[in-house]
Amino acid sequence: MKAEIYNPIERKNKKKKTKKIIAQILLYLAVLLVVLVVLGPYFWMVSGSFKSGLEIQAADVTKPELEPKWIPRKITLENYANVNKTVRMFDYFRNSMIISTGTMVLSIIISISAAYALSRFNFKGKNALAVGVASTQMFPGIAFLIPYFILFTFANKYFGIQLKNTYIGMIFTYTTFAIPFSILMLRNFLDTVPREIDEQAQIDGCSRGGALFRVIIPLSMPGIVAVGIYSFIMAWNEVLFASILTGRETKTVAIGILEYITAQQARWGGMMAACILVSIPVLVIFTSMQKQIIEGLISGATKG
Amino acid sequence: MSQKVAKKTRVIWFVLPALLCMTFVHVIPIIWGAYISFLDLDIYTLAQWTKAPFIGLQNYVQIFTSKFAVGQKYLRSIYTVIIYGLITIPVGYVIGMLVALLLNRKFVGRTLVRGLILLPYITPDSVAYNVWRFIFQARIGLVNKYLLRWGIIKEPVIWLVGERALYPVIISSIWKGWPFACLILLAGLQSIPLELYEAAKIDGASKMQQFWRITFPMLQPVTKTLLVLNAIWNFHAFNQFYILLGSDPGKAHVPSTFIMQEAFKNLHYGRGSAMAVILMLIIMVLTVFSLLVKRGGSHES
Repeated sequence: MKAEIYNPIERKNKKKKTKKIIAQILLYLAVLLVVLVVLGPYFWMVSGSFKSGLEIQAADVTKPELEPKWIPRKITLENYANVNKTVRMFDYFRNSMIISTGTMVLSIIISISAAYALSRFNFKGKNALAVGVASTQMFPGIAFLIPYFILFTFANKYFGIQLKNTYIGMIFTYTTFAIPFSILMLRNFLDTVPREIDEQAQIDGCSRGGALFRVIIPLSMPGIVAVGIYSFIMAWNEVLFASILTGRETKTVAIGILEYITAQQARWGGMMAACILVSIPVLVIFTSMQKQIIEGLISGATKG
Repeated sequence: MSQKVAKKTRVIWFVLPALLCMTFVHVIPIIWGAYISFLDLDIYTLAQWTKAPFIGLQNYVQIFTSKFAVGQKYLRSIYTVIIYGLITIPVGYVIGMLVALLLNRKFVGRTLVRGLILLPYITPDSVAYNVWRFIFQARIGLVNKYLLRWGIIKEPVIWLVGERALYPVIISSIWKGWPFACLILLAGLQSIPLELYEAAKIDGASKMQQFWRITFPMLQPVTKTLLVLNAIWNFHAFNQFYILLGSDPGKAHVPSTFIMQEAFKNLHYGRGSAMAVILMLIIMVLTVFSLLVKRGGSHES
């Protein structure tokens, strides 16, 4: 006690300590707030997916006893069991898988070769090409959609090529959406692989193509993975073109999910269960590759 | 010499696939779209589009004359998307900045939280906005539940139809958009040399001064890139409006949803194309302007 009164330094230290503790508490409270705001809608989604249709529809915000609750009154699995019953969700899931995987593969192949040319060759119009590739990002999808739709109509009418409502048409469309960013991202990546390495490989008797496949591609695997994931997720999530160009046979999850709510019936529980199913591939891919994707995003945004 | 020629032809093969794709999906449709905007192309003339009457600037004139309700509605949609951007972009930026500063401190579980905050960004639009649509339902939604409980409103508000439709879109887009800003700003924060802060501390600068004199100026390049990207992408806005408000958002139409309705529901392809061309011109002017600003800024520093 005495020391506290007579020793100003220790007193000061104590004051500093309590201040520090308060600062720590505030810090954790702020972090908690952020986490709650981020996770709130997900809690609501999960809770909704376990509620019975009756519970959701009977809820009424004006009556305290019928207020919508965070915890389901009675947990049910009916939404998961019936997820494919009224809406053909499994078909849409398969369509999305095929279209997204196709987009991923095609986009990787096309952007590797273009990025390789931009990174390793010197040719006329190289900068114009890079700028042209980047500038496509500027235009809104709706600006292409009308003429593109008519183009699809005429490809069918005059050449008999069915592109609307086909996997090929959608894969081709989405690949083109994915490649501008992919090319620029991979080019950045290839630029970090020293040229001496492929020169050395060529001296050791590799052809240029051999150097590409045996040396450069293995070295730029993280970049290729990031590009593949970006393309897959882009195709999985796209709404605008899917809403016009897909039909019964090719409808993707991003559009199909809207079918749970119709003018006649609102199946929110089913929709929330479907939302969880649709998120799974994206979340799995993302969490397993978090580091590469974030690096790619940051370098894309800061250099591009 | 012959080697050089051989090299040149080889480059073509590397870029050709990408070039072909972009020509078919970007170049040709844009040029063709500009041409269609001069035609009276609707569902009747679509079957023989070459015979669709060429009406010059008629489609454009209609958009800009007050007689035509369609034109007025389109101009209103441009106004709406600007208001939408003027709110969502700054708010998203400020939240992203505050959280980035928070996550730049040391605390237990930081890596986990840094991963968690990316969830809204990576969640598919169709999932995120449908969940928000559920949250904003009038009778069964969470928002009305809490507003009623706290006495802010007296009876349930209908959010997704009518006058107030823009609010739910703004709130859910901010929720989904700030993590991207935060991610980029956090990367920027980590690249600021710590010595600067140590020197400032020795000079007796307060935390606030440190932020405004060091952190904020050092983040300027990143900030500019973010704002330019967001300003351009803002005019692309479609998903959040289409999913939350449906194919006809009424008074909360933005250019993309309105053009979609005009072209694919009312089947006026010509007029829809004219609207799309106007939208593109706005974006182009904005891009050139922001590039100039960006370049001017970097010369100063």
